[in-house]
Amino acid sequence: MYLSLNWLKRHIELDDLTPEQIALDLTLSTAEVEGLERFCPHLDDVVVGFVKERVPHPDADKLGVCTVDVGGPELLQIVCGAPNVATGHKVAVATLGTRLPGGVKIKKAKIRGVESRGMICSERELGLGDEHDGIWVLPEGAQVGQPVAEQVGLVDWIIEIDNKSITHRPDLWGHRGIAAELSAIYERELKPLDTSLPECGDDAPWPLRVETRGCPRYVAVCVDGVQNGRSPDWLRALLLAVGQRPLDLLVDVSNFVMLDIAQPNHLFDRRALAADGIVVRQARDGESMTTLDGEQRKLEASDLLICSGDEPVALAGIMGGDASRVEGDTNQLLLEVASFDAGTVRRTSARLGLRTDASARFEKTLSPTLPLEAAGHAVRLLQSLQPDVRISAPVSDAGEWSDPSHELSLRPARVRALLGCEVSDDQIRGILERLSFKVTVEGETLRVRVPSERALKDVTIEQDLVEEVGRIWRYGNVPEQCLTAEIAPPPHDPRRALVRALEDRLAGGARFHQTLSYSFHSDDLLRRVGLSDAPHVEVQNPVAEGVSRVRRSVVPSLLELLEAARRQRGEVRLFELGKGYVPDSDGPDGSEGSEGSEPTQLHELGIVLSTDRAPEALSNAASRLQGLVEDLLEAVEVGAGSWRAANVAELAPWAHPGRAVALPSGAEEDALPLAVIAPLEPGLSRELGLSGELQSDTAVALLSVDALLAAPRAGLHYRSIPRFPGIKVDVAVLVPETCPAADVRAAIEKAGKGLVAETELFDLYSGGNLPAGTRSLAWHVVLQSTDRTLGEKEQQSFLKRFGRGAEALGGELRTE
Amino acid sequence: MDKSLDTLKAELLARVAEATDEAGLREVERDALGKTGVVAGLLAQIPSLEPSERRAAGQGANALKATVQEALATARASLEASALEAERSGDGFDATLPPPAARRGSLHPLTRVQRELEDLFTSMGYTVLDGPEVETDYYNFEALNIPADHPARDVQDTFFCKPDGHLVMRTHTSPVQIRAMERLKPPFRAIAPGKVFRQETVDASHDHTFHQMEGLVVGKDISVGHLISAMKTLLRGIFRREIEIRLRPGYFPFVEPGFELDARCPFCEDGCGVCKRSTWIELLPCGMVHPNVLRAGGIDPEEWTGFAFGLGLSRLVMLRYGIDDVRLLLSGDLRFLEQF
Repeated sequence: MYLSLNWLKRHIELDDLTPEQIALDLTLSTAEVEGLERFCPHLDDVVVGFVKERVPHPDADKLGVCTVDVGGPELLQIVCGAPNVATGHKVAVATLGTRLPGGVKIKKAKIRGVESRGMICSERELGLGDEHDGIWVLPEGAQVGQPVAEQVGLVDWIIEIDNKSITHRPDLWGHRGIAAELSAIYERELKPLDTSLPECGDDAPWPLRVETRGCPRYVAVCVDGVQNGRSPDWLRALLLAVGQRPLDLLVDVSNFVMLDIAQPNHLFDRRALAADGIVVRQARDGESMTTLDGEQRKLEASDLLICSGDEPVALAGIMGGDASRVEGDTNQLLLEVASFDAGTVRRTSARLGLRTDASARFEKTLSPTLPLEAAGHAVRLLQSLQPDVRISAPVSDAGEWSDPSHELSLRPARVRALLGCEVSDDQIRGILERLSFKVTVEGETLRVRVPSERALKDVTIEQDLVEEVGRIWRYGNVPEQCLTAEIAPPPHDPRRALVRALEDRLAGGARFHQTLSYSFHSDDLLRRVGLSDAPHVEVQNPVAEGVSRVRRSVVPSLLELLEAARRQRGEVRLFELGKGYVPDSDGPDGSEGSEGSEPTQLHELGIVLSTDRAPEALSNAASRLQGLVEDLLEAVEVGAGSWRAANVAELAPWAHPGRAVALPSGAEEDALPLAVIAPLEPGLSRELGLSGELQSDTAVALLSVDALLAAPRAGLHYRSIPRFPGIKVDVAVLVPETCPAADVRAAIEKAGKGLVAETELFDLYSGGNLPAGTRSLAWHVVLQSTDRTLGEKEQQSFLKRFGRGAEALGGELRTE
Repeated sequence: MDKSLDTLKAELLARVAEATDEAGLREVERDALGKTGVVAGLLAQIPSLEPSERRAAGQGANALKATVQEALATARASLEASALEAERSGDGFDATLPPPAARRGSLHPLTRVQRELEDLFTSMGYTVLDGPEVETDYYNFEALNIPADHPARDVQDTFFCKPDGHLVMRTHTSPVQIRAMERLKPPFRAIAPGKVFRQETVDASHDHTFHQMEGLVVGKDISVGHLISAMKTLLRGIFRREIEIRLRPGYFPFVEPGFELDARCPFCEDGCGVCKRSTWIELLPCGMVHPNVLRAGGIDPEEWTGFAFGLGLSRLVMLRYGIDDVRLLLSGDLRFLEQF
């Protein structure tokens, strides 16, 4: 919201303060000032000129050549096209070198052969309005040679208040309310403002009926004798300063009253209203009306209407109707000042996408005591400009309302305890009284009467009064105070410890980069990764079309990054720790979340490895991730079972259907696995753009943080360092292709009779001169005993036993 | 004897002196002291000598052996010395040769700053809490003293979930305040970092998804003075020095009184781009917990009071590392991630 400093000065003496000081004090005590700037600084260079003579241009019928006195030693010759420039006028002259709004710089020019040294301006050219039917004729009293801004009251400062900081303060949506704050801050009186209703005539009151609870109060005033036309310059200047376009006297006065005391109001042309009067009612479904902006609005039963007879003439609290708008010749007016239900106005305005200055104020819940004051204010203003204006009939005043002003108890001791400062009882009382609260002392307690304008949603509890005291007292005066409560150290947090350990291992030794990504997945991404049909939590109002679904898993966004990342690096190593949400599946078809049920939260670790290295039997993306995950599990002391081939189509449609492995969590059969690892599904790999020059070996690991937390801790235990050296034996075995490596390893363990300390598969080979259907596995084996040094004898018997074991597997020991 | 001892000695010492490396010395050593070497030859001749000459011949041979051994040792020491000397030489060294790159992994900058803050606060007795990103209307609004139709819902720019908007993407970490009060018994101190969502137009300084950290302290006689102290401690922790702060009124329905906390710009003394020339940075909203919120959490506001704050984690990360576009944080761009 914009404030004009000149406007504030109508209410309070501020000449001794700089605009900067006022802005700072408002910020520290009342509301955030977002901006402070001079109004139209370019007007400084535009001066008052006196047209000494205007003669027709020798070569152009429509142009005139003016001789203008701008107070300097020389008279200026200026060519001007406006028809309303005449000898003897005072006008606004932009002299050479002046820059106008829009960037035009005034230069010496020849117009049809006649030299012109400046420009006589219209208000529009100066950015001051829409009139373009002629140049701006200044009041006769304007002093020649002086800046125009000074002469017509346009030297002003604009203070911009952050609307968010005053959503709870309906009283601050007008200049009077802000001035009242300044009066409390600077401890000086507000200038008096008479808003009492002038005497009313004795015509028949305008018929009025309120049929809905959405309108607690409706005041209708018949105002006669207005000559509509241009508003006085001071009024136009104030409206311009706060960004309101001046239109005509009636509209300008209506806006002025709203911006002055924060009560919206509306003027109808009585000639366009039906004689059976005003009815305030709910709209009917399917009803429609045309608002002032010319739009046809479709209405619903929850909307509130002002009707003349049965005909809608205004959308209550938002915008008037087109048919009854005031025109230039209107002199019989009906002034509406009302209170409307905040929620109703808010909902209608939101649904129609129609936010106006009026609706913004009504949404804050205005006091029903305000309408009569606003009516008095408006009529008195009109009367001060046109003495013939009068109220022709008793005011119609309907609705069910009561004055919201109420009393609160305030314990000064509580103020001091909550603020943590030594503000005295008298100081508390003084601050509240300066803010228009009425205070009486009742023993240890203050009885505080809240003024009506602040009584509805703003000041309702004791703490609200503490805030009033604190902000005027200034929070900067509260001394710092160290927390001293007795608090035990926070309990160990296993989830946080686990997450940190995983992050450190991955970013440290494993050299993976951590990413964090958006929670919304695009329909396109979900289609590509095969999750289109999976139920998702979905938002109604996505940030863009097609990105309404909330992720179930961290994996899709990791996959989405791969193509761009692989263009930058030959090998991409990324991980994300985050949450996914699966909607509650209690719904009728198992896919829609039933009303009110919270989705299941999955805490996941996703890891991707994508490399341009061709995959090898023993070293490829998936096997490297498998090694990494085993290391991670060891780091977090979770005892791993053994990997199994897993059918993960359901859980992980991105996984290669025949090459996925999983580590079961060891809990129930259908519990989430601790980890799933798989190369990317080959079709998806192409779909993600990882083909051709970006041909990659890509694998994904998905770990469940929840399952890891639930898994039994293996713990870390020291094993004594062996005192006797081990012996290294390399063995190669030729087995049928169908024989799993795990079986071979088991045979090695068995042959070692408890002496096998380490096994490592170092070669895997098939084809070549090997018989079809077989493969060779070569292992490093370390045999070691805790009580003696092993020798040739043990080695030979190990080999002999392993030879028999290999035969049992359908294979044989290879000697070469 | 073909040659005199002196001649033999002179020849051998000359060869030792001529040798330029260990191999050369070994050759001399073998010829002089080996099984079939000169000294062995001399000793072998002794039995065939007159008994009177034997003693002198033996002494001569042993003296020759000792002399050659000593010469060899000296020569070896000198060779080692010059080898070391050569190794110590800086000749041909180029200090500007680029080293091979050590590839490394990285923690996300949000993780880094979040950890710092978690460590700072846990060291002061705060518990770190977590809350769901998909929240119910109750926790996100209702329990926080923001009933339906409250104007404050306007500024929250909420993503509502289908089918009925009963679930929302949480618009702030404040719902964790209620969850904390349900879980912990006062007095307590807690923080809750996490992801939040706002349906708003995205640009370099606004994203629809960003990170916050909520703070909540509930105790006996907690006052604005305590809040000021806690916030100063927070800033000292972040910027590693004393930072001036100011509290000014701010409106948030779940606190009363509510404040905006400004910090003196840590990057300039008289106005810069970061503080928009004001020398103050609007850092976090905070306030004394509203009695209705305490009640919603099952805590008696007459017995207990508290303060709460909501730190913009994303914004802090941007300030800390000089990141000029908030969208980078969740972009997953490797060129961004690799820098941390």
